[in-house]
Amino acid sequence: MFRYLLKRLWHTVYVVIGISAISFFFIHLSGDPVMLMLPGDASMQEVEHLRQKLGFNDPLYVQYWRFISKAVRGDFGESLYYHVPAMELILERLPASLELSFAAMFLALLVAVPIGIISAVYRGSALDMGSMLAALFGLSMPHFWLGIMFIMIFSVKLGWLPTSGRGTPAQLIMPAVALALGLMAMFARLTRSVMLEVLSLDYIRTARAKGLREFFVIGKHALKNALIPLVTVAGMQFGLLIGGTVIIETVFAWPGVGRLVVQAIFNRDYPLVQSIVLILALIFVAVNLLVDILYIYLDPRISYLEDE
Amino acid sequence: MTPNASSLYQYSVERLGPPLRLMADTIQEVARRSSALWGGIMLCIIFSTSLLFPLFYEVDPLAQDLLARFLPPVWLEGGSRSHLLGTDNLGRDVLARILYGSRISLSVGFSAVLLGEFVGIILGLVSGYYGGKLDSLIMRTADIFMAYPFMLLTISVIAVLGNSMFNLILVLGISDWVIYARTIRGSVLSLKEKEFVEAARAAGTRNLPIITRHILPNVISPLLVLGTLRVANIIIWESGLSFLGMGVPPPAPSWGRMLADGRLYISDAWWLVTLPGLAIMLTILSINLLGDGLRDALDPRLRNVSN
Amino acid sequence: MKRWIAPLLALTLLTVFFAVPAFARDADTLVVVQEAEPVGLDLMRSSIQTTMSVCYNLHDTLFSPQEDATVKPALAEKWEKVDDLTWKITLRKDATFHNGEPVNAAAVKFSFDRIMDPAIDSPHKGKLTPFKDLKVIDDHTFTIATAEPYAPGLYILGYYLPIVPPGYVKQVGDAEYNTKPVGSGPYKLVKWVKGEEIVIEAYDKYYGPKPAYKKVIFKAIPEEAARVAALTTGEADVVGAIPVNQRKKIEESGKAYLTPQMGAMNYLGLNTYEPPFKDVRVRQAVNYALNRELINKALFDGKAILCAGPISPRTFGHDPNLKPYPYDPEKAKKLLAEAGYDKGFEAKLTYGTYMSQIQEQAEAIAADLAKVGIKVTLEPLERAVMWENYKGKKLQMFIYWWDDAPEPDRYVYSLFNSKSRDYYYKNPKVDELLDKGRTVLDREKRAQVYEEVDRILYNDAPWLYLYVVPEVFGVANNVDYQGRRDGFLMMVYAKPKAK
Repeated sequence: MFRYLLKRLWHTVYVVIGISAISFFFIHLSGDPVMLMLPGDASMQEVEHLRQKLGFNDPLYVQYWRFISKAVRGDFGESLYYHVPAMELILERLPASLELSFAAMFLALLVAVPIGIISAVYRGSALDMGSMLAALFGLSMPHFWLGIMFIMIFSVKLGWLPTSGRGTPAQLIMPAVALALGLMAMFARLTRSVMLEVLSLDYIRTARAKGLREFFVIGKHALKNALIPLVTVAGMQFGLLIGGTVIIETVFAWPGVGRLVVQAIFNRDYPLVQSIVLILALIFVAVNLLVDILYIYLDPRISYLEDE
Repeated sequence: MTPNASSLYQYSVERLGPPLRLMADTIQEVARRSSALWGGIMLCIIFSTSLLFPLFYEVDPLAQDLLARFLPPVWLEGGSRSHLLGTDNLGRDVLARILYGSRISLSVGFSAVLLGEFVGIILGLVSGYYGGKLDSLIMRTADIFMAYPFMLLTISVIAVLGNSMFNLILVLGISDWVIYARTIRGSVLSLKEKEFVEAARAAGTRNLPIITRHILPNVISPLLVLGTLRVANIIIWESGLSFLGMGVPPPAPSWGRMLADGRLYISDAWWLVTLPGLAIMLTILSINLLGDGLRDALDPRLRNVSN
Repeated sequence: MKRWIAPLLALTLLTVFFAVPAFARDADTLVVVQEAEPVGLDLMRSSIQTTMSVCYNLHDTLFSPQEDATVKPALAEKWEKVDDLTWKITLRKDATFHNGEPVNAAAVKFSFDRIMDPAIDSPHKGKLTPFKDLKVIDDHTFTIATAEPYAPGLYILGYYLPIVPPGYVKQVGDAEYNTKPVGSGPYKLVKWVKGEEIVIEAYDKYYGPKPAYKKVIFKAIPEEAARVAALTTGEADVVGAIPVNQRKKIEESGKAYLTPQMGAMNYLGLNTYEPPFKDVRVRQAVNYALNRELINKALFDGKAILCAGPISPRTFGHDPNLKPYPYDPEKAKKLLAEAGYDKGFEAKLTYGTYMSQIQEQAEAIAADLAKVGIKVTLEPLERAVMWENYKGKKLQMFIYWWDDAPEPDRYVYSLFNSKSRDYYYKNPKVDELLDKGRTVLDREKRAQVYEEVDRILYNDAPWLYLYVVPEVFGVANNVDYQGRRDGFLMMVYAKPKAK
């Protein structure tokens, strides 16, 4: 167990360093934000002065070192655009992102897993075909299109839900559902195929042969095994979801991290972009670590000393 | 098929070389599944339309007519014979744009996947075959790429390089390599120890020929499956980028861009979002149906890896 | 597993049940929606329209700029010229900051020094550099001097020198002031929930007329379709950045109307330093090649104002005798042939993706130019990249905009004086006139100077002149808000509509 944790820790460290380096060098390739920070009639002298002041004239590795050495002390710099500490901005937005991601993930699993199981059990039935076809449709709709359709239908036509923003639970419904549909389709397909595999295994047949009730067989034996790949994929998706919802956030004016970071990229707000990428990577790694630990609980046969 | 024809078919299949036989088997397997067959047929129709439409529909997708904006499709009141599916906000023919857009969307989707697979195959082969330091370097890099928010990567690259079609293919392709590399590496690892590889090595065959002749042909089929399914994702993601103003640059009418531009007129001119949306949906549906079929036919192990 | 599911299910159901639309609102409250959230609330530190709009409700300046480029009293009660270089300004005595500090000459002095201080990197500093010296005379009187006569001076002060409370700023520091500002404007800040809303309420000791709405909530909705939806569902009362082509939809909803007020003056700049646009005949040719009337009708519902020269037809100093270049593709072709481009040429048209309705415009312009043989490739760029290429003189044809400012010096000087932006065009005669325009204090004579500039630039055509786009606001039917030409959302001017 100790060796395993050590390995995971090493994994976290190199992933985080790697990501911070990639994002750092990449965004700096795009030039510096000084021109953007000053109005059009600013003189070249003013530009040069600001550039000097913000340290953009130093070689890249010096700038990177400065960033890293400050970051390990918890100082992620000040946003060039908002003039407040980058971390403060992120922490303000993170709850909204987590809320949306949790809601979407929960909703997706809540609907998709039963559908997947039923489709697997009644394989080849009209129900199976229908739901799998529906899942394919769910995969083929662009998020923004879905989001705007929702607004048109549920806010403008029917007047049931507020168009956008955050604050009341009602405002969470549309973005969460729009985000969940794609995931739902993915999970339903996944659950179905995993269940099909598990259901054909020997011990399920044994269980059935022993005369256990079908519901019990599926619920207890099959599902538990099917959960492993499901948890893996869900964990991975969750990690990506937090920063990857920019389109839904834009359509529904949801104040999450995704929109913050995209704007920061556009504005070349370096300290902010770097900090967000770092935080997102940490979350991703942490979620996957959690998934690994969950494995052990789900399937004691899995050794945490698996060799790579 | 009569028994006679069937045996003839079997006979001819057996006489084919291994790659061709694989293909013939695959087609046969796929065709046995009706949904996959439908997907394949639909995709064939989409492809051939996309290639051949200039033969039967010769309208310039870029020609504007500002006096004939927002004409509805022909079956609605006010529709015109000369614009079967209506016109857009600049009076351009929607049908012509959808047809022309198929070329753009499909070529972005397929080129990006090919590029991603190319990079993924090379890195995966190297990593799996040679192992050691190189392997761990590549795999550690893969870990980093996995944790890097894909969307942010795409957006920041496009923001830096500008949104030409080439850049789009480049970044969408490159950011996908990890999935392919990991799949390939896994297959290579198990294959490396197989007898025929050992035999080739014992016979003094050098590494490169072993890789290209013995290993590559045997690990390629999972990639075919994965790739097919990824094409769908990339087409969707291109439309998302168009929404953010970073897709294929105008005036080229990719489906995603048509959808993104049309959203502003959603309540006045529904056909501007609905029709390209349908085109995307049909294409992706058929790609997925075919991809599922391919997966079942070629590689049952991959069942869990979809998407 | 099961133990979890029940509570979670209950939670979901609860969520759905509580999801009653929260539309009901106080009649005293106004909800204002813009396309972006402010980046901060310190007016000195931002030149972004959406940020400044919120700030002008909290902060106050010395003068209130008018639509004809004159000023009316605000914090300044009266003013007089001591000489051509110096104004003597008297403050009103009843103005206070929201924290009770008095607005006095010392506060003005502090504000002037602060905006000039490199530590806060104020983007407005450049516009205020003609001002050299601010002297406090007594508690409510001060003089402010310029190095040379500066005709637009008071107007500039009216926009760009917000008066801040010295005591409070020193106490909380610049960073906190940016999120929790205290001003002397009609509204004071209640709370700012980042990413969600900014709530402000009427300041009861405000010296001016009391705002009709006690409380104003600013929100941001980036997606245009969602903004329009918020207006038609009644969730928002005033909504910014709505393209004029949504007029029909909004009016048909029966919930709201569009203000005709604010304008952005779009223009298409040409790089006159390089062929083919080095040749004035080519520049004129592209001006003749564009069918402005049709674009106006098709894209702007006929509501745009066509421009003849660089000075907006609504700004004093434009030459009223100039008519926009007529649509004459034949003449365009002839001019191109004379310039040696009878076979046309290829060109690149760059624009920023963030502008409203921009892609339609670019595509329509490109199509018109194609008809006279100019094959235009479109190059949409992200804001930052566009700006950098622009300043780096890398563009050939580009679409940009300036707000339809009433004061000609504000933009014509900025865009055409080679001391300011010598990027794509330089004309010594224009430079000379623009320098002169700043210093002539008599309005009539000043107008003549700018009219000459307008004529010269009309003929020399360094731009393909486009139009002033009515970039409108959507306003709920029960609210009376006319909008302002500068586009700032000052909610003190909004009131309930008489029934």
